[in-house]
Amino acid sequence: MTDTLHIQIDHAEGSLQRLIGLIERRGFFITRMSVADLGSHREVRLGVRGRDAGRSADVLGRQIDRLVGVTRTTGAASTVVEEVVPCPA
Amino acid sequence: MSAPSTAAKIANEPAPKTGARLVVEALEREGVEVVFGYPGGAIMPVYDALTNARFKHILVRHEQGAAFAADAYARVTGKVGVCMATSGPGATNLVTGIANAMMDSAPLVCITGNVASPLMGTDAFQEIDILGVTLPLVKHSWIVRDPADIPRIFAEAFEIAASGRPGPVLIDLPKDVQVGVAAAPHPPIPHHAAARRIDTAQLRRAEAAIGMAERPLLYVGGGVRIANAVEQLRAFARATRIPAVSTLQGLGAMPPESPTNLGMLGMHGTRAANEAVQACDLLIVLGARFDDRATGKLSEFAPHARVLHVDVDAAEIGKLRDADITINGDLKQALTLLSPRAPLIDAWIARCTRDKEQFAPRYDAPGEGVYAPALLKELSEQAGDRFVAACDVGQHQMWVAQHCRFASPFAHLTSGGLGAMGYGLPAGMGAKLARPDAHVVTISGDGSFIMNIQELATLKRYNIPLKIVLLDNSMLGLVRQWQDLFFDGNLSEVDLSDNPDFAAVARAFGIDAFRISKREEVSAGIARLLAAPGPCLAHVLINPKDNVWPLVPPGKSNADMIFGDQI
Repeated sequence: MTDTLHIQIDHAEGSLQRLIGLIERRGFFITRMSVADLGSHREVRLGVRGRDAGRSADVLGRQIDRLVGVTRTTGAASTVVEEVVPCPA
Repeated sequence: MSAPSTAAKIANEPAPKTGARLVVEALEREGVEVVFGYPGGAIMPVYDALTNARFKHILVRHEQGAAFAADAYARVTGKVGVCMATSGPGATNLVTGIANAMMDSAPLVCITGNVASPLMGTDAFQEIDILGVTLPLVKHSWIVRDPADIPRIFAEAFEIAASGRPGPVLIDLPKDVQVGVAAAPHPPIPHHAAARRIDTAQLRRAEAAIGMAERPLLYVGGGVRIANAVEQLRAFARATRIPAVSTLQGLGAMPPESPTNLGMLGMHGTRAANEAVQACDLLIVLGARFDDRATGKLSEFAPHARVLHVDVDAAEIGKLRDADITINGDLKQALTLLSPRAPLIDAWIARCTRDKEQFAPRYDAPGEGVYAPALLKELSEQAGDRFVAACDVGQHQMWVAQHCRFASPFAHLTSGGLGAMGYGLPAGMGAKLARPDAHVVTISGDGSFIMNIQELATLKRYNIPLKIVLLDNSMLGLVRQWQDLFFDGNLSEVDLSDNPDFAAVARAFGIDAFRISKREEVSAGIARLLAAPGPCLAHVLINPKDNVWPLVPPGKSNADMIFGDQI
C-alpha cells in the first residue's frame, strides 16, 4: 500500500536530502515525489511504501516530525497533524 | 620582535569580529566549560581565537576520543558536550562518536572545520561532505555560510541538542567563514520549544490501569536519567510498590538496595527481571524503546501485558510494540502528575522478590584466578556512592551491568545503542573532568582498550586521575563466547594472546600501573587503585574461557534464557 505525505521543508542546506534519507533508512520506498519552491519554504509531496509489513507509516510520520525545519501538513492516512516539532526561527 | 600577547591580539582585532572569534564567544555565551578537540588546517582560525577563551580545551590524541569524552561529559553533567575537529579525516574520525551520541541520546555539539567555500565540492585537500556523511546521525546540522549567522546558529545548536530527546548536532565551518568578518552579527534568537502538554485523559487512563493491575512492572530506560527524573521515579515506585526492571541505560535509576529492583532485563539480564517481564500484566515503560537486546524475540516479549508507554519522543511510541495507553511528554512531569491508587499486589511483590533472592548471582566461583564478576562487585562497593563506571564494550560491559552497584543512572556510562568498542577510556576521561569528586573508573577489555589507547597520553598531559580496570582475557571474549555457543566452537579471529604488556604500556605513557593475576590480590588491588593520587591502571588477568551468564540466544524469547556454567 502506498501512503501519501505532504511536507513543508525550509531552504536549509541538506534538508531535502535529510528528509529523503530518513524515509529510505526507515524502510520505505519512495514511489513518487514532487518538490515545489513556494518562496518561504518548499512543498514536498511523496508517495511511500514500506519494504515489509512491519513498517508503519504512522511511525514514519512521527519520525519525520522530529526533523528540524520540516512540517508535515498531512500524514500517511491524510490526517492533519495537530502538533508539529517546533522549528527554531 | 616578540609575538603580541593574545589579549593584545584580541584588542587589535577589527571591530567587526571574525567568524572564529564569534565561535569562541558563542561557546562562552552558552556557558561551555570544556571543549575536547584536535586542531588541523581547516579549523586553525578557531584554534587561533581559542587561546584566550574562558573555557578549557582538552587536546585529545584522536578525534574519536574527543567525541566520546564530550559524550560522557554530557551524560554525567546533563549539560551539552562539545567537541571540535578539522575537515576531512578529522571530521570523519568524529563520526563513530556522533553515532554513539545519537543512539544513546547524548547532547553534543560537534564543530568541524571545512575547506573554504569556493573549494567545497571540488575534492579539495581534506575536503569531505561531513554534513552529508552525518545526516543520519544527528538531530540537525548546519554549514555556516556567513559569519554573521554564527551567534544565531550556535544558540540554535545548543537548544536543539539539549531539548526534547537530546542528541548530537553538527556545525560545519568553512575556512573563509572563520576568517571572514561580520559587520553586524545576527544576534541569537531566544527560542524555547514549547513543552508538550501531558494529556490529562491519558493520565487518568494510566492511573486506572495501574490501580487495577495485578502484576504491574516498571520498565525503566535511559529516559529517566535524561529527564533527570530519578527522584520522581523512586517516589512513584515507593508509593505504588511496583517492581522494576531496567535497561542497560536505566541501571541506577532505581535504588540499588530496593528489594523490588530486579535489575537488568534482556539478553544478559537477570532471571528475576526476565521472568517478571514474561509474567506481568501491565508493563509501564518509562523512557525506554523496546531495544532488541532488551526484548529478545519481540513477538514473545511481555506476552500477557498491556503496555503503558511514557516517552518524550512521540516517534518511539508504537515503533516496535503497540501501546495500550500512551503518555507523550516529559517523563519527570508525567511521573509527578501520575497519582494512581496503589495496586493490591502483595502476591506479585512476593513472587518477584523471591525470584530475585533465589536467582541472585553467586560469587564463590571455584579456582584461584580472578573472577571478574566478584572483582567488579567489590570495586563498586569499595568506591561506594561516588562510583562512576565508564565501560567499554564486550563481556566486561555486561558483567559491569550485572554486578556493579550504581547509586544513580549518572554513574553508569556505557555505549548501549551503538556498542562502540573504544568508548571506555575517553569516556572515563570526560567523566572525570566533569566529576572530579567521583571515583570514575574506566572498565575495559583488552580488545576495547587498545582501540583508543592513545588517550593515555591525554590522561598524562592533564594529570586526569582516572582509574582503569583492564580485564584481559587475551580474547575478544564476547565474540569467542558466541562462536563457542552458536558457531560450533569455530574460533575465528578472536585470539589476542599477543597483546602487549598493558601495564608496561601504561607506564611508558607515564601512567602508574600494576597487575592483578590472583584472586587473593583483588581487594588490595582495588584499594590501591582507588587511592592512587593520579591516573592509574590495574591490569587484571582473567580466564579466557569465562562466559557471561545468563544469556538469551539471539532471536529467542527472553523466556528461553540459558545459564551455562553459571555458579
